[in-house]
Amino acid sequence: MPVEAVTLADTTTKELPLLVLWLFKAGLIYGGLLGTAALMTLAERKVSAWIQYRIGPNRVGPWGLLQPLADGVKFIFKEEVVPDGANPLMFRLAPILSAVPAMLAIAVIPFAGEVKIGDWSFGTLSIANLDISVLYVGALTGLSVYGVILGGWSSNSKYSLLGGLRASAQMISYELTLLLAVLSVVLMNGSLDLRAIAADQASTGMWNAIVQPVAFVLFVIAMFAETNRHPFDFAECEPELVGGFHTEYSSMKFALFFLGEYCAMVVMACLATTFFLGGGALPFIAELAWYVELPVFCAKASSFLFLFLWVRWTLPRFRYDQLMTLGWQVMLPLALVNLFVTGAVVALGWHPLLMPLLAIAVLVPFALLFGRPRPRSESLTHEGAAG
Amino acid sequence: MVIVKRKELSFWERLYLPEVVRGLSVTMRAIFRRKITRQYPEEPLATNEVTRGQPRLAVNEDDTIRCVSCGLCEIACPAYAITIDGQETDRFIEREPERFDIDMLRCILCGFCEEACPKDAIFMSEELELADFSREALVYDIEKLKRPISALQRRSDYVYKLNDRWHSSSSTS
Repeated sequence: MPVEAVTLADTTTKELPLLVLWLFKAGLIYGGLLGTAALMTLAERKVSAWIQYRIGPNRVGPWGLLQPLADGVKFIFKEEVVPDGANPLMFRLAPILSAVPAMLAIAVIPFAGEVKIGDWSFGTLSIANLDISVLYVGALTGLSVYGVILGGWSSNSKYSLLGGLRASAQMISYELTLLLAVLSVVLMNGSLDLRAIAADQASTGMWNAIVQPVAFVLFVIAMFAETNRHPFDFAECEPELVGGFHTEYSSMKFALFFLGEYCAMVVMACLATTFFLGGGALPFIAELAWYVELPVFCAKASSFLFLFLWVRWTLPRFRYDQLMTLGWQVMLPLALVNLFVTGAVVALGWHPLLMPLLAIAVLVPFALLFGRPRPRSESLTHEGAAG
Repeated sequence: MVIVKRKELSFWERLYLPEVVRGLSVTMRAIFRRKITRQYPEEPLATNEVTRGQPRLAVNEDDTIRCVSCGLCEIACPAYAITIDGQETDRFIEREPERFDIDMLRCILCGFCEEACPKDAIFMSEELELADFSREALVYDIEKLKRPISALQRRSDYVYKLNDRWHSSSSTS
C-alpha cells in the first residue's frame, strides 16, 4: 500500500521539520485553491460569453486576466448593508460558514504522489494525510448547507428564507446520492483514504469512471446539486427569488458566499478526479513522477470545472418538484441498486469489468419500468380545450 | 385560444442524459462560432447618410457660417434645446448668430431643426458620442457646433435628395 510508503521515513532522504512542511504545503495548496476560485469567476464570464457568441471581459489585463482582482477591489470598497431586523450574529457568521467548509475539504485531496527534489523528500502533495479522508470530506459537504440556510434565515427577508429552505432540502437530498456513489467507489477500491483510492485505480489501470459508470454519472449530477450550480441552483434562482439566500448580502460578505461556491466547485472537481479518474494517473503508465502527476491531475480537475460552466449555460433550471422527483425517485434508488451490485461483485470476487455490464443489465429494466410517461393532468395537456 | 399539443417523448428522450449530451454539443459548437461582439471604442458603429447624429452648424468654404439666425429651428425644436441670439453682419445675408447654443442633454436627435432650416445651415451629423463630466459642458456653443460643409457633405446631399422628391428644383441657397 502506498500509505505505509509515505509514513515510513526513509533514512537516506532529508526532510523538512513537520510544521514548516505543513505551512509550506498549506500556503501552496490554499494559494492554488483561492487563485483557481478567482479565475473561475473570470472563466464563468468568458465561457458564458463564448457560448453566446460574445468575447467576454477583456479590458483588465491581457485577455481580462486581472478582472478577478478588479472585482475583488470593488467588493472590498463597497458599502456593507445589514438589513433591519437581521440577526446580527448569524448574518455575519453565515458567509464564513459557507466559505470555510468548502476550503477545508481541499486539505485531504492528494494532488500528486511523493514529492522528491534531489535528496529532499516532501511527502505526498496534500496537506493532511488522513486515513479516513472520505468521511472527512463527507462531513464537510454536510456542513456547507449551514452557511446557505443561516444566511437565508438571518437576513429577515422572505426571498432569502425561501432560497435557504430550498437549498437545504436540495442539498440534503442530493448528499445521499453523492455519498452513496462515493460508497460504491470505496467498496471497489477497499479504502476510505483518498490517496489509496487514487493509487489503487492507478495501479490496476481501471479507473472508476469505467468500472463504475453509474456511480460516476450519479456523482457528477449530485455534484452539481451539492455546489448549487445550474441546473440545480434553487438557492439563488434569480427569476423566482430575486437572489435567493444572498439577496440581502452586499460587499465582501457577498463575495465570501461566491468564494465559497467556487471553492466548493474546485473541491468537487478534485474529488471527482480522485474518485473516478484515478487522480494524477495516466492510462497504461504505471508509475509517474509527481511533476507529471500534478499537471495531469490539474488537467482532469479543470475539465470538470469546465463542465460546471458548460452545463450552466446549456441546461435550464429544473422545477422544484422535478428536482425532488429526480433526487428521491430516480437517483437515490439507482445509487442504492448500484451499491448493492457493487457489493455483490466485490463479495463474490468477480472481475470488476463485469460491473459496467451488470450496470447496464440492471439499468435497462429499471428505465423501462420507471421511465414510463406518467399520465398528465387535463389542465397540462389542454386536450379537449377546442371542443 | 391556443391549443398546446405536447409531443410525446420517445424512450431515448425520456432517458434525459442523451438529450443533455446533445444540448451540450450545441453549446460546444456555439463556442467556436464567429463572435459578433463589436469592440466599441476601437470599432465604432458604421454610419451612413441616414445616420441622424447630433446637429451641427454648416460653415461655408470661405469660413462664413450659413446660419442667418432666423430662429425657425429654435421654434421647431420640440425639446427647447436651441437658443439663438442674432446680430447684424456686413455680409450680403445681413444677419448671423451671435450666440447659438444647443443643450445636447435636451436634444432628442429628432432632426426637426434640419428640416425647418431654410438656409441648409444645420445638419444632423454622423457624430454620435456624447459624454462629459458636467451638465454645463454638454451645452454646446457655436464654436463647438461649427463644422466645415465638407464634413457634412454626405448628409447634406441626402437632405437635398429628400427635398427633391417634392420640388422640381433643389432648395439650395
